[in-house]
Parts: sequence; structure tokens; C-alpha cells
Amino acid sequence: SLKFLPRGLSSKHFVNETYLQPHISVLTNTMNKEARLKASINQKLTETGERDRLKELLRAKLTECGWKDQMKAQCKDVIKQKGLEHVTVEDLVVEVTPKGRALVPDSVKKELLQRIRAFLTQHAS
Amino acid sequence: MKMEELSVSSLDNSKLEAMAQDILSDLVEDACLGLCFEVHRAVKQGYFFLDDTDQESMRDFEIVDQPGLDVFGQVYNQWKNKECVCPNCNRSIAASRFAPHLEKCLGMGRNSSRIANRRIVTGNNTNNKSESDQEDNDDVNDNDWSYGAEKKGEALDFLHVPQKLIHCRFSVFPHLFFYFTAKKRKSDKVLLFYP
Repeated sequence: SLKFLPRGLSSKHFVNETYLQPHISVLTNTMNKEARLKASINQKLTETGERDRLKELLRAKLTECGWKDQMKAQCKDVIKQKGLEHVTVEDLVVEVTPKGRALVPDSVKKELLQRIRAFLTQHAS
Repeated sequence: MKMEELSVSSLDNSKLEAMAQDILSDLVEDACLGLCFEVHRAVKQGYFFLDDTDQESMRDFEIVDQPGLDVFGQVYNQWKNKECVCPNCNRSIAASRFAPHLEKCLGMGRNSSRIANRRIVTGNNTNNKSESDQEDNDDVNDNDWSYGAEKKGEALDFLHVPQKLIHCRFSVFPHLFFYFTAKKRKSDKVLLFYP
């Protein structure tokens, strides 16, 4: 019996189950391929030290453009709300991370993406 | 898993772009978390709100620039002319000489054992007879490998063996006895078996 259906399809789309079988194997093969490629890219990023360089670059850019100070102000609000003694890392993460992600300037995003794309094209072929 | 099987050409650009976006969002997430940890630590260690101090309190912590005082306003050479009483010998010693004196007085520290050994050796050369009677003192010198330097020569002269050799407590292979090199310990008892 089938434990796995391709996305967007259900068994009602097929008259009988045998129609599903070759379809699934092709899909899972592609998905596995992608997942494996992704895993190998991630590994390469770490091994070559590129991930650390990108992290540093991002941190520098975010400080430079004032994102860090903005975020610190947000954190102050959370702390005042929860109380200095009782605030936990979880409180900060839950409140501040979504805002942090949204407030990254586009120029910073563009620059980082450029570097990542360059890495991908260099290492994935 | 070879890279050729998984080349970019097998994926279109949108997949590549999606991958890049994923990586970027991982990095941003990492930066946010890093910030949260940094802030949380600053809060718990008490230095998060430091730059919000008012002008009044800031003046309390200004750098001190007066002669005879360090930047915190403390007097820094008040121990120059003081004297301390040694708890061991009850002598009055100058403060700057106190630590070395204490080392020698208490018999701790690197040099004091060397000096003591030297004194023992020179004391021994003028005091030979009494040493050989003190069989029970064997363990006193157990830590001192170099003690037997002079004794080695005289005790084993009749065997015509090289200076350094091992003295086992139980020598099972006497013919191998002389092939090891190690320092003699006074506490080792020599058992020689002749075949």
C-alpha cells in the first residue's frame, strides 16, 4: 500500500493504485536529488569557510546600516514589558526575530544573495 | 555520490534561486539569534542599560588624573615603605622582599628545594660516616634522583660498570642488569645473583 502521495494529488485522482507507482518514484527521485544537492552545498559552504565569511559579512552590514541598534531598541521594549529579572532568551527570540527578519534592508539582502549565487554557480557544477 | 550527477544543469534557475534564498534566510536567522543571545547576556550581566546612565552618575566614574593616584583614584605606592612580619621566623621584612623571603623560609617555591639539595650535598661530603648508618632514612631521599651522584661511583667501582645503570629491587635477569641506563636511587636495594 502507498504511504506517500505527490503533493497536490490524492488517491481519488487515480482509478487504481498501480497508476501512482512510477509517478512517485520519479518524484521522490527528483526530490531526493535536490535534497542531496542542498546537503552537499551546505557541506561545501561550511568546509570552505564560506559560511563563516558570509555570517561575518552579514553581521558587519547589519551593524553598519543601523539594523542592530533598531533591534536593540526592540529588545528594550520587550525587556521593559517582561521585566529585567524575568526576561528569557525565548521571550526575546519569539518577539524580536520576526521583526528582525522583516527589517533587513534590501541592499544587504541583495549583496548577500549575489555572493551566495556566485558560490552556487562555482561549486555546484 | 558524485557531483556530476547532481549538477546545476539538472536544476533550473528558480530552484537555484530558492536555494540561495534558503541559505540567506538561514544566515539572517542566525544573526537574529546571535543578537538575542548577546542582548540576553547583557541584561543578565547587568550592562545592557549602561549607556542610559544620567550625566550626574557619569561624573562619579570619570578618570582620575592626579599625581600619586591611579585612574581609579587609589593610592598606588603606599606599600613601598611598609614592613611585614614573617609568620614563620617572626622577622620584620621589607614588603618588596617579602615574597622571596617567604619562599625560602617555608621551603616552598622553585629555588628553595635546589638550595636545600645543594646544602645536603655539601653537608654530606664533610659528614660521610653518619649517612651510612641511617638505613631508615632511605625514603627521605626517595624523590631526589640526583642525590646518589657521588655515591654511585664509590659503591660500584669494584664492578667496573658504567656510571648510569639500573638498580632493580628484584633483578631477575642479572645479565641484562647492565644494559639499561637509569639513575640510581639510594632507596633501591641491590640484589645481585651470580649464575
